[in-house]
This record gives sequence, structure tokens and C-alpha cells, in this order.
Amino acid sequence: MIAERSEELAVLGALDLLSLTEQAELAAAVVADPALAVLLASFRSTAAELAHSAPPVVPPTLLKTRILASLSTQTAPASARPSPGIVLPFASWIGLAAAACFALTTAYFGQAFVTERTAVAALRDQQTLADLALRGANNQLEAERLISRRELTAASAQAAESSGLVAALESRLVEASLNAADSARQLVGSRDQIASARRELTARDQRVSDLTRQLAAQGTLADYKIATLASLLGNSPQALAVAVWNPANQEGVLTVQKLPALAADQDYQLWVVDPQYPIPVDGGVFRVDPATGEARLNFRPNLPVKTVAKFAVSLERKGGVPKAEGPMVLIGP
Amino acid sequence: MSDSGPTEQPDERHAVDSLLLKRVAAGDRAAFSELYDRFSKPLYSTAVRILTDTAEAQDVVHDAFVALWDKASTYEASRGTAFSWALTLTRNRAIDRLRSRRRRAELLENSAPSDLGLDENSSGPSADESADTSDQAAAVRAAVETLPSDQQSALKLAFFGGLTQEEIAARLSTPLGTIKARIRRGLLKLRERLAASQ
Repeated sequence: MIAERSEELAVLGALDLLSLTEQAELAAAVVADPALAVLLASFRSTAAELAHSAPPVVPPTLLKTRILASLSTQTAPASARPSPGIVLPFASWIGLAAAACFALTTAYFGQAFVTERTAVAALRDQQTLADLALRGANNQLEAERLISRRELTAASAQAAESSGLVAALESRLVEASLNAADSARQLVGSRDQIASARRELTARDQRVSDLTRQLAAQGTLADYKIATLASLLGNSPQALAVAVWNPANQEGVLTVQKLPALAADQDYQLWVVDPQYPIPVDGGVFRVDPATGEARLNFRPNLPVKTVAKFAVSLERKGGVPKAEGPMVLIGP
Repeated sequence: MSDSGPTEQPDERHAVDSLLLKRVAAGDRAAFSELYDRFSKPLYSTAVRILTDTAEAQDVVHDAFVALWDKASTYEASRGTAFSWALTLTRNRAIDRLRSRRRRAELLENSAPSDLGLDENSSGPSADESADTSDQAAAVRAAVETLPSDQQSALKLAFFGGLTQEEIAARLSTPLGTIKARIRRGLLKLRERLAASQ
């Protein structure tokens, strides 16, 4: 059984594809295994068949003539040379030997001359090619040197220009850094202001919110009832009172002017006339400034008031009464 | 295989070739002339295929036949057929010239792909299809055509390209191990199919 490696070497060897090392390996394997030698020969013969896969070209007729003519100048194949067993007379032998020696020497030196001349010609060709290559390489080197010099000059100019640009940029950078520091400080101040403004805004929002809630609780201004009370007093006809009533909160404010001062055991008493009740509802008692006759009363009736028909002020005993007893001094509207 | 008559069986043909070569080794010019007639067409076609230059191919075939005349006595039948030996003489010379041309081209930096002589599209010297109508040649071409295309490519590059294994792998952009396997499988299949066609 031939190893796969040996078979591969034999295939590649048949196609002359082996390296020197592989050739040695194959030669050793062939010596060790005669069957491999047979296989190698078979592969060589098969590989040779590939010659027929080339497009067939008929050689020119003159080629054979040329080859045969070349043979005529060659000695016969080595195996075809006369064997030394033929006995010739000494005189003939020495003459023939001398002639043969001369012929062989001539052939040898002729062959050597041709070989050397061929080698010299090949060396000259190689030298010519080498000279061409050297000249080409020198030209290329010179071209690269010129290009490099131009690039170096351009790079130097660019470097000088770049240095100026760098200095200007550094100056700008310093200026920009200072500006940035100022801006940073301003930014900090602005941030403080913004924080303060935000806090104030928040407080105001809160205030607006509170006021909104209060306003909503108090109802709209349109719902308020404002009434002017006129004097019923003969001695104080200029006496006047204004009542502002908030029906939503069931509270109001009464301001009076130029009412006569009261005795110590008397109070003025406010009444709210609501049709749902048979008698006016008590709005509270108040006294006036003896000097100006003015007073301000924040009042809240002791019963829920649905509709205010009139306000009235009467003169009552100190502390007030549940049902009006004294004379009416103001009424309205 | 040589360019022998269409009715000659391969074994018979190889035996005749071998006998002629022995006669050549003995200095028989008539045998040499007959051997030339049997071998020259496939050898010349191979040289043209490798070199894509008829003048160079003629030089190569000339040198190969002169070498064959001179070294016929060194032929060993156990190492392959007479034709494979003659082909080796021709192909080695053609590939040496091709490699020398490539080195020169690389040195002058004007190498072109067509210089490799393996551009499938390059026409090169015009082939004379009618020149080789032998059954043997047709059988070989048919057997090669049945190989998978990747094996065909690898084998043809190996045989006609004068490239190393590594160069074939690089040229086909394929790992070296794969190239070796393709060449091995391709040659084994070719051997089987040629044997079957006989």
C-alpha cells in the first residue's frame, strides 16, 4: 500500500513540480518501495499524455531536415560507439588512436569553446540587462530625490506658515480663555439672578394661586351687591351709608358718615331685609366716631340671606335687639 | 503516446517507441527519422503551447531531438515510456526558456500576462486542428475534457505553465494544499479514463 504522501509526491514529481527537498524525499521513497517506482513511471506516462491536450500544430518540414543536419555533425550516440574488443594492427591502431585523440581533443575544445562563448554571450546579455536595470533604478532614484526635495521645500514653507497661524491661534486662545472666564462669572451671576427670579416667580405664582382661590371662594365682583343708605334723620339729613354685600360668603362691609354721636347706652344696629323672613335679619351693632360720625362695620348676618331687598340702620339700646324697636335712621336702596 | 497510426494500440505503440529508441541508441538514423515522425507533432505542439512562439518552439524541439539522439542510451524503460522521456527532454527546455523570458521581463518591468503563455484567450500560433486526427490524441483530449474544470486548470498550469506549486496556487488564488489535491486527483482520474478508453 503506497502512502498518500508518497502518491502525492509521485504525481507532483511526474509533473516536475517538486522542490529539491521533495525530490530527495521522493527518491528515497522510490528506493525503499519498488511499487512506488512503478507508480511514478505510470504517472510520468500519464502526464506525458497531456501533450495531446495542446492545440495540435504541425512542425515545419524543414525542422526535421535541420535536426538531421545537426545529427550529421554529432558523434554517434555513446552506446553506438565501437567496442574496444576489436583488434587492429598496432601501426593502424596507433594512427587511428592519434587521429581519434586529435578528433576527441578538437571536439572537446570545440565544445568547450562553444560552451564558453555561449556562456560569455549569456553573461553579456545579463550584464546588459543589469546595466539597464541599474540605469533605470538610478533614474528612478534621482526622480524620487527631486520629488522628495520639492516635497521637503513645500513642507518647510507650510511649517513656517503653520507657525504663524499657531501663534495667532494661541493669542486668540488666550483672549478666548479670558472671555470665557468673564462669561463664566457672568453666567454664575446670571444663574443667581435667574434663581432669585425663579424663587420670586414661584412666590408670586403662589400668591396668584392663593388670590385665585380666594377670588373663587369670594365669587366674582359682579355678584357683589352695593347699596347706598339714605338718612331718615331730620337733624342729620347729610348722614350717609354704603353697604357692600358678598352673597357667596354671606358677609359684607358697611361704612357710614356723619351720623350723630350716640349716648353711652345706645348702639346703631344694621338690619338686612330678606323677603324669605317675616322680620329683618340682624346684621350687628356699631358706634360712630363722635367727632366725625364715621364708622366701618364688617358684618355677617346671624341667618342665611338669600336675597337682599334693603339694608336699614336703626337706633337701639346698647348691645342691640333681636327685632328692631328704635327709630330707623338710614335705609336703602 | 506518440503520433502513431490510428490503429496501433497503446501498449503496442509504446513497445514500438521503445524499440525504435533502442535502435537510435545504437546509432540507427532511420530509426531516429521514424521516431521523429511519431513524436515531433505532439512535442512541437507542446513547445508551442508553452512558449507561444513557433521560432522558439522549433529551437526547443531541435535541441530536444539532438539530445534524444545523443542520450538515447541513457533511457530506462522502467522510468516511463519513450514518449514521456522525449517529452521530458522537450518540456524541460521549453520551460527553461519560458522562465528565462519571465526573468528578463520582470527585470525590464514590462511583463504582461500573455507572456506567460497561458492566457487561454490568446491565440498564439494558429493551431492546425486537422493536423492531429489520431484516435489517441482525440482520446486524450476527450479524457481531459471530462475532468472538473478546476482540476483541468491546475493540471494545464502545472504541465504547460512552467510554474511552481506556489505560483500555481497564487495564480488561481487558491490554497496550496487545495492545488496539490486538485493536481493529484486530476492526474489519477486522467490515468483511469485513459486506461478505460484503451
